[in-house]
Amino acid sequence: MKLSNQEKKELDKFTKFLALKCTQIIVQSRLGDKISTHCRSQTTGTDWFNLNISDLPDVLAETKRVLNGEIISSNVPLCVEISLRTSEGDQMVLENWCLSMLAEQCDPTTRIVHTIYNRMGTLLKSLVSITRVVPAYKLSRRQGPDSFVICYRIFLGEPLIQCLGEDFSQVKIGQICTPIGTLNLSVSYRTKMTISPTQTGRQNSIMLKSDHFNAKLSPKNRKHNQNEDKTQSLGNTMKMGAFADMQKKKMESLFIIPNTPFSELFKEKPTAEKAAENMVELKNNENESQEKNGNSTTDNLTTKLNSLTMVSTNDDFIMVDLKTPFASTNEKSELGKFYREWQTAPPLQTFVDEMSPLDELDVTKQLETFESDLNEFDNVVQSLCQSAIN
Amino acid sequence: MNARSQIFELTVEGRQADEAVASIFHTVLFHRSLGKFTYSDEGSYSVGTVGYADVDCDFIDLTYVCCSSSSLERTIRKEINCFSEQLRGNEGSGMGQISLEFFQKKPSRWLFQPECIPWEVWTVRLELITLNNEGERQVCREKVGELLTDKIIYITEVMNRHEYLPKMPSQSELDLIFETGFPDVQPYLFKLNYSISGPSGGPSVGSTIKKIRETLAL
Repeated sequence: MKLSNQEKKELDKFTKFLALKCTQIIVQSRLGDKISTHCRSQTTGTDWFNLNISDLPDVLAETKRVLNGEIISSNVPLCVEISLRTSEGDQMVLENWCLSMLAEQCDPTTRIVHTIYNRMGTLLKSLVSITRVVPAYKLSRRQGPDSFVICYRIFLGEPLIQCLGEDFSQVKIGQICTPIGTLNLSVSYRTKMTISPTQTGRQNSIMLKSDHFNAKLSPKNRKHNQNEDKTQSLGNTMKMGAFADMQKKKMESLFIIPNTPFSELFKEKPTAEKAAENMVELKNNENESQEKNGNSTTDNLTTKLNSLTMVSTNDDFIMVDLKTPFASTNEKSELGKFYREWQTAPPLQTFVDEMSPLDELDVTKQLETFESDLNEFDNVVQSLCQSAIN
Repeated sequence: MNARSQIFELTVEGRQADEAVASIFHTVLFHRSLGKFTYSDEGSYSVGTVGYADVDCDFIDLTYVCCSSSSLERTIRKEINCFSEQLRGNEGSGMGQISLEFFQKKPSRWLFQPECIPWEVWTVRLELITLNNEGERQVCREKVGELLTDKIIYITEVMNRHEYLPKMPSQSELDLIFETGFPDVQPYLFKLNYSISGPSGGPSVGSTIKKIRETLAL
């Protein structure tokens, strides 16, 4: 039995809208809000599968961009990856939702497209129910710019289940047999919620480095994120817009490349220092090769170490003040400054508005003066009372 | 015809009873409800849209989804509330069960009530426990949440097996398949039954209270 062109066209259309609605349900369930949509007696144009799923324009555009006019084929499933990003920049993949089509298993007997349409509706209802009970839902309801935000990524390809840590779980939400193949919807999710240093450390150090260049040009970014996002942020491979207020990071300014690259090179060095360096060169000719390798003399090293305030609690780490080829040679070298910026956590918002101890002192002083002037106040009140009686 | 039957057994604290039952029944009803049918003159019909709403439980660590129909929600809540009050009352043993039964009606013949044929039954058996302190309550709150998560996943699994459902009726027979009394949604015909076990045990003992009520006012 062969499908008529009309039937094939309808099936493709249903599959496309199933994919579009799946991403909407998944992403909206991770917004952190309670969702409520109305029942309608008359179906409107966007109400597919007799289910009122509102469309977020961002998510719709992103899904369409990823699908790129194709329907889900047998080789490449459509995935929605949900991850958590802490305010410190640590990141952890929480779950991966996967909609796939197995062309080998098709059911030519399910001829009636109407039945398939209804089953897709049931599958979406199940998806709605399950998004609320897997662990990431509770996390998403607790998200906030000060603690962590939930991000999503939509892509075509095999789900990256190795990012979900040990003992991840999988739930099959359902499958629908159609004449063109079997549609499968499943979710794999993390069960261990601790962020371990090994998990984040290496990846982050790469991301920092890549920020010196245009984020759009990095190969990592190119692979997954091809859209024209104009916003500037640290390693912007994740779309953040839909979930939370983007917290502008102050540190960003550190990474903006000056208009003229390596402009530091052309700056005139302070003459005194230059002279001193010449002296060192003249006196220690035998150390010359060492100098050029970036090693300073011992004296220099100790003085510079003293000038650096180390915030690190890591005792076995020794800060070696390297002579970086393109950095300025002033005492607080760029490298040291850069390192310190990343060592200290940014101050919490909570303490910004807090009164300084100085202000508190003033209040106690004021209270004392008020107390000492108590008699005077009493006199005023008494005189007022008397004048009222009179 | 034999009806499909699913039984869930749960041990909960008294105040969790309503929410535990509601989370299971609403998940089932969400899957078993369609949009309202509107018939045109030519005999064809269009199906409305079902909206949904998230419900946060107060005494269980759980959020579930139900149809956003206040009248359906009221009907279910009233029934569950009657059950839970008796279950928690002093006479009972703290054990009981409530079931959500889907049925279809055979057209009524003269003088006879229409015959009801169940096709799917969801039963929740509850056993109440008493907890001594807040620490235990917190543990129970999470534990029951996890148990209900498993039940909800199981319900979706059953729903996606695509087993028997009554056929779509013609306009004149709509009432034999669907509950048309709600203004916003159209679930398959259903009723709620419950029974409470007496202090001496089994449900066959004389003190058993059984109440069968159709949600349709006949």
